[in-house]
Amino acid sequence: MLKVTNVGKTYGKFTALEDINLEVNDGEFLAIMGPSGSGKSTLINILGLLDQSYTGEYLLQGKNHKEVSDNRLSQIRGDQLGFVFQNFKLLTTYSVYENIEIPLVYSKKEQRNKRELVEDVIEKVGLKGKEKNLPSELSGGQQQRVAIARAIVNHPNLIIADEPTGALDSKTSKEIMDIFTKLNQDGTTVIMVTHDSEVAEYAMRTVYIRDGRLYDDEKSVKK
Amino acid sequence: MNDKILIALKSIGKNKNRNFLTMLGIIIGIASVICILAIGDGFAHTVTKGMGSHNVRNKVIIEYQAMTDYNADDGFTPNDASVLAEIPGVDHVKLSSSVAEAGAKVQYKTKHASIGLNKQPKHLKLIKGSYFTMTGDSNGAYISENLAKQLFKKNAINRLITINGTVFVVQGIYGSGGIEYRPEVYVSKTLFKELFASQISKDEAKLYVQPNANKKQIGKTAVKKMKKMGEEKHAATYKVSHPDQVSKQFTKILNDITYFIAFIAGISLLIAGIGVMNVMYITVSERRKEIGIRRAFGATSADIRNQFLIESVILCVIGGLIGILLGYILVAIINAFLPFKAVITTYALILSLSVSTAVGLIFGYIPSNKAAKSELVGLLKEE
Ligand SMILES: Nc1ncnc2c1ncn2[C@@H]1O[C@H](COP(=O)(O)OP(=O)(O)OP(=O)(O)O)[C@@H](O)[C@H]1O
Ligand SMILES: [Mg+2]
Repeated sequence: MLKVTNVGKTYGKFTALEDINLEVNDGEFLAIMGPSGSGKSTLINILGLLDQSYTGEYLLQGKNHKEVSDNRLSQIRGDQLGFVFQNFKLLTTYSVYENIEIPLVYSKKEQRNKRELVEDVIEKVGLKGKEKNLPSELSGGQQQRVAIARAIVNHPNLIIADEPTGALDSKTSKEIMDIFTKLNQDGTTVIMVTHDSEVAEYAMRTVYIRDGRLYDDEKSVKK
Repeated sequence: MNDKILIALKSIGKNKNRNFLTMLGIIIGIASVICILAIGDGFAHTVTKGMGSHNVRNKVIIEYQAMTDYNADDGFTPNDASVLAEIPGVDHVKLSSSVAEAGAKVQYKTKHASIGLNKQPKHLKLIKGSYFTMTGDSNGAYISENLAKQLFKKNAINRLITINGTVFVVQGIYGSGGIEYRPEVYVSKTLFKELFASQISKDEAKLYVQPNANKKQIGKTAVKKMKKMGEEKHAATYKVSHPDQVSKQFTKILNDITYFIAFIAGISLLIAGIGVMNVMYITVSERRKEIGIRRAFGATSADIRNQFLIESVILCVIGGLIGILLGYILVAIINAFLPFKAVITTYALILSLSVSTAVGLIFGYIPSNKAAKSELVGLLKEE
């Protein structure tokens, strides 16, 4: 699915990422753990083609996207990737239905009935009957379900989730993780950032990040 | 496209008060545009209707103004016409008369007078004598009270007078006071045609000009030439006639008003534009999170720019529509004071909507572009 070689990222003099090497295979469920400020979001922004200013090489589906036009990047993000952001990032004045529909508005993919696609994912994340509600009328767990539905409505091959359970209690976290597990079982590659080691248990593999460096096991982070 | 307009309407609806205030400039500007065009179109319509097919656009009229009252020989001669026809830019010349009245000399014994003469009208109220329509070459004449006093001491009826050498019998006298102008003598239609019609002075020369000719220049040249070479120049003076002089003055006032309203329109539209720009900047910075989300889910920067441009245009077009509505109300009010009817044409409506759209596009462009060009990672940090 993707291959990261010697990737680095600096903000002025500050080094946010250094010498990152990582390979993720199709169908994998990867958890990225690490303390706050360690560079987790910075890394997945690069993986999700949201940030193009890094050093080193990043191949997504074997292709380097550094020279790819901005328009094409938008299209790839819309059609092949699905994001679940920290703090949901829903449009507060749009209904559940309208929030989930957003990727379809811009999609160039051959789509069957858009309404059906939206209703499918609403059912999948268990939000039936809430289509017309505003996000403010939903619980945190329900809002995160909307965010997940939005991320998967276009049937992406890769889901990138940043702290999908960060704002949720453990029971709700478990429900959300069940959705991710199900998606992964259906063949979608999932990369998930989390603080919570219980949540990370759901992943097949966990990598650790500290001060911008990536480690393959927990012990090396703690030392 | 439809859902994009819906998105724009929705976001405009979210800040009704703010957006209405922004629209005010557009509303006033467009209402002014509607008024200007309605007045202008109404006026043009009235003027062209009044002139019928004889529009003055393609001709210059030179007037012959006699210094003596009546002289059958006065006016433009055929030679004058050919001189005038030679002026560059003149296509052809027609001579005509501004009055249907012939100049003549009347004599009774030793007394003479210069008179104006015409064929008898259908009805005429007499002081003396009886009125009937003279047929054939009947040589009766009706004369004015003034002329009677000039020529006769007492009774005038049945006296013989000579007009330009032809003998007439006075049949009756009519009052010449009052508002209506009357010539001194009326004769039968037949004799008038036979004897006098050709002598009606040709006091107008109509110079039909070629398209795009400088009418002002032609008029000046023609007057100059006639003053120098006109065959009857000794008895008169020449000048360019302005048949629409009254309306010209009116046009000037109207133009002043139009410029004033146009000025208001321009200023309001400019201020409106700046307002639109301002509100679009605010909208864009308020919605950085939304822009980030849309970009992350497939919107290209062009999609984002268009979204805000559409919003800005729709804001302006709504303002324009309200402005048109206000324009209709204002025009109805203006019409109560105008001597003609101001009309709102389809063209005015199209222009108004085009102007609104243009304001939205021009002043919305920079903020929309700013939205489109914002850095994605930064946008996604917004809450
Ligand atoms: N735009 C920026 N300019 C300068 N420094 C930045 C910028 N963005 C992030 N950083 C720094 O880079 C480091 C990594 O940030 P990042 O957001 O990736 O952390 P994180 O691991 O996602 O933390 P958290 O768990 O709190 O979300 C932090 O120390 C942060 O201060
Ligand atoms: Mg983070």
